[in-house]
Amino acid sequence: MRIEISRLTKTYRGGVHALDGLDLDVPTGMYGLLGSNGAGKTTLIRILAGLLKPTSGTVHIGGHDIATTAGRLAVQRTLGYLPQDLGVYPDLTARQFLDYIALLKGIDSRTTRRRRIGEFLEVVALTQDADRRLKGFSGGMLRRVGIAQALLADPRLLIVDEPTTGLDPEERIRFRTLLSQLAGERTVLLSTHIVEDVAQTCRLLAVLAKGRLAFTGNVGELVSQADHRVWTLTTPGPAPSHGRVVAAVPEGTGMRYRLIAPTAPDPYARPAEPTLEDGYLALMETGR
Amino acid sequence: MIATFRYEFLMQIRRPVLWIVYGLTFAVIVVTFGQPYAELSMGAGVDRHDPTTAMIVSADLLMLLLPIVYGCLLADRLIRDRRLGVVGVLDATPTGHTSRLIGKYLGTCAATAVPFALAYFGRAVAYAITEGEPSALGWAVAVFVTTTVPALLFVGALALAGPLLMPPMLFQVLFVVYWFWGNLIPPRMMPTLADSILSPNSRYVAYGLFGYRPAQQPPDVLVAPDYYTYGPVSEAALNFLRPEAGVAVALLWIGVMLVLAVSVLSLARLHAIRTES
Ligand SMILES: Nc1ncnc2c1ncn2[C@@H]1O[C@H](COP(=O)(O)OP(=O)(O)OP(=O)(O)O)[C@@H](O)[C@H]1O
Ligand SMILES: [Mg+2]
Repeated sequence: MRIEISRLTKTYRGGVHALDGLDLDVPTGMYGLLGSNGAGKTTLIRILAGLLKPTSGTVHIGGHDIATTAGRLAVQRTLGYLPQDLGVYPDLTARQFLDYIALLKGIDSRTTRRRRIGEFLEVVALTQDADRRLKGFSGGMLRRVGIAQALLADPRLLIVDEPTTGLDPEERIRFRTLLSQLAGERTVLLSTHIVEDVAQTCRLLAVLAKGRLAFTGNVGELVSQADHRVWTLTTPGPAPSHGRVVAAVPEGTGMRYRLIAPTAPDPYARPAEPTLEDGYLALMETGR
Repeated sequence: MIATFRYEFLMQIRRPVLWIVYGLTFAVIVVTFGQPYAELSMGAGVDRHDPTTAMIVSADLLMLLLPIVYGCLLADRLIRDRRLGVVGVLDATPTGHTSRLIGKYLGTCAATAVPFALAYFGRAVAYAITEGEPSALGWAVAVFVTTTVPALLFVGALALAGPLLMPPMLFQVLFVVYWFWGNLIPPRMMPTLADSILSPNSRYVAYGLFGYRPAQQPPDVLVAPDYYTYGPVSEAALNFLRPEAGVAVALLWIGVMLVLAVSVLSLARLHAIRTES
């Protein structure tokens, strides 16, 4: 399902311009959405999920205009949504919670629900705990319930807002692999601050900054934002004042710094190969 | 709507606090009204051998305090979706807000009324056995459906929606105050909604539909024809809200309760639409 966003703005009560004339095209497949805290990622996602009305602009998803009730419902029928701060009913078991969501999503057949719930509990490795009340679940386990919940209705559009926060590294990798496997003919929109997750799963991505589009393109293009701007420097002294330190590792008696700067921050600094994270940081540096 | 009904019912009826608070309050009623509750007679000479009268008295005694428990236990139900952070996932489903609100309303109210109904019908069964009067069970159902259910429907809507406007603790305090002021105090003491067409605890149905009559003339009845009546109270304010009981007024009272419930729920729905930013 293709997402076409045009001139989208959202101004919250109190005058915060969370989105400011955003134009974005998200094709089928896996798509990354990066941006710093407060960039507007959650606002955009809540609009796409039909939870929030934009102040102006239009959004078409799979050809449906989500400003109309019919369009919104058509999208929500094939939507999997994992919010950033997912809550659950502590007094239900994992299985019951999933069953409730499945019912609300319109999966009326009991056998279908049972089968799907069993399947996805397996996928998120919660089969053992399926019949325990959710109030006893750890943060990571709750995230996994959230993930299962988003996948229940076999969504053609999957929108996940920082799904990997709070997961241990193994689970994180398992989950992002699952997301890319799901992509295929689906659209998966992954919002995150974890550049690594995008680097490992998405070919295309967008970067939001202050409610505007700071970048859109493929991963290689974002990496090249940092071309000739990444440096390493090993020094016993303090970090150079020029440039932005992105890593500092003690080495021998001194420190080995990794820096982003338009020109060499120190005569002894040596150029380094940029990563996606460097590209992202370089973009943010230019933007401010 | 059915899904929400089912799960909201389940979550509410599972709460241990529901059973504990109802149990304690019921104990208080039994201790305080030991004699009348055992005999199902109110004051002098109500004919407790008449099953209709006995069931009305039984419902009346429970209506004194149990609605407070009922209201307070419902107070967190509507607002907790937001508090728990579940609301995002629920809103992203194609099931509409309104049908979820109705499902939640009916589900939580039904669950919260279960202990109430158990106490009431338990007493009815006991009465039917001790008095050898199985027809009491039929009357019990009739009285419950026409007096308790409309009252609880209105109180339930109020208790779900009230905490949208204030913290639930404050609402619970105000609700208790409301219950005593608006339903229990004698109308001659101060201006009150008690015994009026707006009071969930009024006896219009008992008088109007079931022909309930206390054996003695209540001292404060304004018009005292040759039958005992329910309605305007002498020297009380707001008597325009106290028409004289009759079949039509009893039906009117049921209608008023339902209309109030629907209005309160519609306001809750509007409130939700307004706060969606
Ligand atoms: N309900 C709200 N009312 C008012 N302002 C809001 C509301 N929600 C978000 N904002 C503001 O809108 C801006 C964008 O917020 P948003 O949550 O979309 O950012 P984000 O990119 O998801 O950030 P994060 O990475 O921290 O999750 C912020 O300045 C935030 O303060
Ligand atoms: Mg966010």
